[in-house]
Amino acid sequence: MRSLISLQGLSIKTSSDGRSLTSDVNISLIEGEALGIVGESGSGKTLTALSILGLLPRGVEVASGEINFNGENLLSIDPERLRGIRGKEISMVYQDPMTALNPVMTVGNQLLEVLDCHNHDVKDPESHVKQSLIEVGIPDPDRALKSYPHEFSGGMRQRVVIAMSLLLSPKLLIADEPTTALDVTIQRQILSLVSRQRSRRQMSMLWITHDLGVVANLVDRVAVMYAGRIVEVGTTKQIFNSPQHPYTQGLLASLPVASSRSRNRLASIPGVPPKPWLVGQSCSFADRCQFAHKKCRESLPLLDARGTKSVACFYPIASSI
Amino acid sequence: MTLVIDNVIKKYPIRQSKSVVNALNGISLNISKGQTLGIVGESGCGKSTLARLIVGLESPTQGAITWRDNVLLRGSKNQWRNHLSPAQLVFQDPYSSLNPRQRIGECIKEVIVAHNLRQKEEIDSRVTELLKVVGMSEDMKNRYPHQLSGGQRQRVSIARALAAEPELLILDEPVSALDVSVRADVMNLLVDLRKEFGLTYLFISHDLSMVRHISDVIAVMYLGRVVELGTWDEVLDNPQHPYTKALIAAIPDHSQVGQMDLTVSLEGEVPSPTNIPLGCAFHVRCPIAVPNCSKMIPQLLPIKSSQSVACSEVVK
Repeated sequence: MRSLISLQGLSIKTSSDGRSLTSDVNISLIEGEALGIVGESGSGKTLTALSILGLLPRGVEVASGEINFNGENLLSIDPERLRGIRGKEISMVYQDPMTALNPVMTVGNQLLEVLDCHNHDVKDPESHVKQSLIEVGIPDPDRALKSYPHEFSGGMRQRVVIAMSLLLSPKLLIADEPTTALDVTIQRQILSLVSRQRSRRQMSMLWITHDLGVVANLVDRVAVMYAGRIVEVGTTKQIFNSPQHPYTQGLLASLPVASSRSRNRLASIPGVPPKPWLVGQSCSFADRCQFAHKKCRESLPLLDARGTKSVACFYPIASSI
Repeated sequence: MTLVIDNVIKKYPIRQSKSVVNALNGISLNISKGQTLGIVGESGCGKSTLARLIVGLESPTQGAITWRDNVLLRGSKNQWRNHLSPAQLVFQDPYSSLNPRQRIGECIKEVIVAHNLRQKEEIDSRVTELLKVVGMSEDMKNRYPHQLSGGQRQRVSIARALAAEPELLILDEPVSALDVSVRADVMNLLVDLRKEFGLTYLFISHDLSMVRHISDVIAVMYLGRVVELGTWDEVLDNPQHPYTKALIAAIPDHSQVGQMDLTVSLEGEVPSPTNIPLGCAFHVRCPIAVPNCSKMIPQLLPIKSSQSVACSEVVK
């Protein structure tokens, strides 16, 4: 299967002092596939996503690696060409819909602007953008087009952002914690909406989250990031049902299960994640790992492909599958 | 009963638009000593307002909050100070609830001094003891909040609350701002502290799986009212109110990979508290609503000894 996008050996550093933020990230997505990137704050998941669109914040840069999208390396193409891809072939939904929208522009004009920027020729732009709002379930779309972002609730704003991101039928949608700021019942509505749109459009999706529960029923594969590296990647079933990396296992064990009736002590992972640039040539999880041996502190485990699943651990937990 | 909240109403007038935010619309709840009452609800349901009323940061528009048979009214400052000591609030965000320019030791010491709880020479050892209680070492005293991780900061917030020697801890989303792997630690700490000091908790969260984990009794709130109240297992195993059912169905569950469909559990959004629907506030989103629901506000009525529901279609 040809991959739609592949990140190869992507490392991100701070420009001023060369502190490593992510190292050797390899991700690939085939057309129509959805991948979840799960990690805690500081694990590098958002930076990885931003690097794809060339949107890294000032002072942070890609140090090495390649991002191939449809046969082009996004890191070396002409900025004008990247502008063309951004928003059209790859679009993004951010965590906070209020800051993603322009507060002094009507929703209608912001949607039309997308068409305009990409010289997208449609017969009737107004009805095209109206249709996009209907598709994401916004009631009274005519009124919505004339409204400003502050007139919407958080959930409705996120629907607007999703409508905007889907306007030009992108091949890849990157979603960075789009439901984190929303209430659970609204979160469910958004998950349902995105999931429906993805299967209807056969779109690929990269879903970034700290919440394992959200991706469990949404994506095909999951990559777990820790201290700037991917430590485990596999199908969603594998990751949740038989995690092999001690970190993945610890993370899953620490969550109370909503449907369970057990109230035993929650398993916890001692300590806090290290700063990625302070890890060096050892397993970044070694200091918190109950299974760590001498080897884990002396050399760096790399992702090791075992069929469709791979784990960066010298002593992975035996698979039960 | 340690704390009795009796038919409390809280309205916030908005001067500009001459409208009123109806944050609490008649809440009655009791907490007994040593019990943990969990309050769950979505944004705007009034759960944080309730927390602020109990510790006296706000006063109710109507109704009374009784602490050990003493009605609490916003009276003299001293009366509030006496009350503040037995009930302490832990806030959601340890990044903004700690003074960034105050060392950890100072920030805990301040509470002991304000409530005049120790002799001068005992204060320092008390601070050390409190840090130890929340699992932190003495050398943290000289650190500033920015030098600590999120979990450590929340531990400091808890130590600071404990410094006042409270009987009741009000925990307003205490783990929501923390990273997943750290949440379990703080939850375990709260369970331990409850046992060690015989504390009473009011645990407020939007996250039903956390509330489930720690509460004896759960109250489900919707637009300033309690819609369902029962022991934790009753509310989860046998939810009666359609809102409780939808809330439970909406929790992402990682224990059922690929088995859950993502169908929407509840259509629409929570109406604004400035414009609460007539009758049952939930009827506009309710799957089982009948015309009568828009006319009468359903009262919280018992369906068995320990479980009550505010729904006229469930309690007939």
